[in-house]
Amino acid sequence: MSTPLLAPVMVRVCPVDELPPGRRLLIEADRLQIVITNVDGRLYAFRNVCPHQGAPLMCGPITGTMVASVPHQYEYGCDNEIVRCPLHGWEFHMATGKSVAQRDTVSIKTYPVETNEEHILIQLPRQPESFAVHTAR
Amino acid sequence: MAIVDPQVPVDRETVTDIIDCDVHPYLNSLEELTPYMDESIQRLMNIGRFEKKMLKNMNAGAFDFPKSRYNNPNYVLRLDAVTPDGGVPGSDPEFLTQDLFDRFHTKYGILNVGHGSMSAYHNVDMAISYSSACNDWLYDTWVESDPRYKMTMVVPTLDPTATVREIERVGQKSGIVGINLQNVNIPLGNRFFWPVYQIAEEYGLPIVLHPDAEGSGEYAPTQSVGPASTYTEWHTTLSLVAQRQIMSLVCEGVLEKFPKLKFVFVEYGFAWLPSVMWRLDKNWKGLRDEIPWVKMLPSDYIRRNIRLGTQPMEESFHPKDIVSLVQMAKAEDMLVFASDYPHWDGEYSPKVFAAFPDDMKRKIFYDNASQAYRL
Ligand code: FES
Repeated sequence: MSTPLLAPVMVRVCPVDELPPGRRLLIEADRLQIVITNVDGRLYAFRNVCPHQGAPLMCGPITGTMVASVPHQYEYGCDNEIVRCPLHGWEFHMATGKSVAQRDTVSIKTYPVETNEEHILIQLPRQPESFAVHTAR
Repeated sequence: MAIVDPQVPVDRETVTDIIDCDVHPYLNSLEELTPYMDESIQRLMNIGRFEKKMLKNMNAGAFDFPKSRYNNPNYVLRLDAVTPDGGVPGSDPEFLTQDLFDRFHTKYGILNVGHGSMSAYHNVDMAISYSSACNDWLYDTWVESDPRYKMTMVVPTLDPTATVREIERVGQKSGIVGINLQNVNIPLGNRFFWPVYQIAEEYGLPIVLHPDAEGSGEYAPTQSVGPASTYTEWHTTLSLVAQRQIMSLVCEGVLEKFPKLKFVFVEYGFAWLPSVMWRLDKNWKGLRDEIPWVKMLPSDYIRRNIRLGTQPMEESFHPKDIVSLVQMAKAEDMLVFASDYPHWDGEYSPKVFAAFPDDMKRKIFYDNASQAYRL
């Protein structure tokens, strides 16, 4: 029986060793672009397009941030849990997709990722007709 | 394998060509200027054979290029514009044409040096020499490389005589389309600058103001109320500089004396314009006898002589509000498009103008700049 077109599917991305810690890949599933990263062994996948003006998050640094604090107290936190847009610098929690500054109104779409013994798998909303994986330049 | 950049197609029905009034080329190193610079100044700048490696980071140990005291804690240059060789965004003329011009359908991109002027630096002789070297380097390396590149020339703002000399030296070259004057702590209306305005008007070159000297050189203004504490505060207050300078230009009669001269303020935003116009007009109606050389409404002078770069565009609560604001100020003929590539606060695509009516877009993207600059 073939998979119904609109059901979520797990798609194989690559062998586990092709995405070591500190690296990221760009997935193209039909017209959807998704960044998948390995940060110290934790895998995240999120849409490549910044909701502000559309810059590619693939080029954005993965970083921490200054957490909200009282005046004149700096507290660094969320180390390596944030992706920052390479253009105007909007920040997003990679795990939830929520914007740091506008957490109730702005977010990026995230996708479940997991590994089986050999492969990294991503859950997509439906079976893509085309699927490709690119490395960063 | 290259990253597949999500292409942002321009809406071909409404947009034809674009003139981009703010593109930033970067020197990889000051060493690139040595072929254009006298040995004595190379010695003062510790470049070429006068490099001072060991003392470079010591207090007063070696020449330090006057950079802004305010640093962006994140990335002041967009990371998606790193060159294919891994170089500084904006340092490769060929890559820039692909990454920006081809994507935006740019007919002309006007280069304003990204690595900085020395216009407010305390040693004016060094600033004179640096300005000439910088102009020659930019012309040879960028303007000659692609017909889409045009440039503004930098000048030693603190010496109007030397500034006039530099304009006489290169100001007639065809790729030079404006004069990057810079803000120092002398208001723009002051007659100190009038010899510069005279030759600029004669040559058909607009005076361009762009943030750079503010907060870098010792002769730069500190944004009206004293230094800001953070980059966020500093960057936001830049718009005050333009407002203050426009008031000076109107009240001192510069726009009356040089009716054909355009002043283009790039990267100061524009949403503050109605307030400046309405406030000046109101005061002029009661106080005009103190400035009797101002013969028309200040807002009429502003509309005739001042042009404003669109970036960083204020983002209104509702996208249409900013359009209404332009209409309120009757500023349709005053705005010129600026991408500010590769700075962090530029626009990703002309689509940010989606809420603007087509005729206004045409003026902003092309017509207004083609009339303001010597293109
Ligand atoms: S495009 Fe991402 S923050 Fe503006």
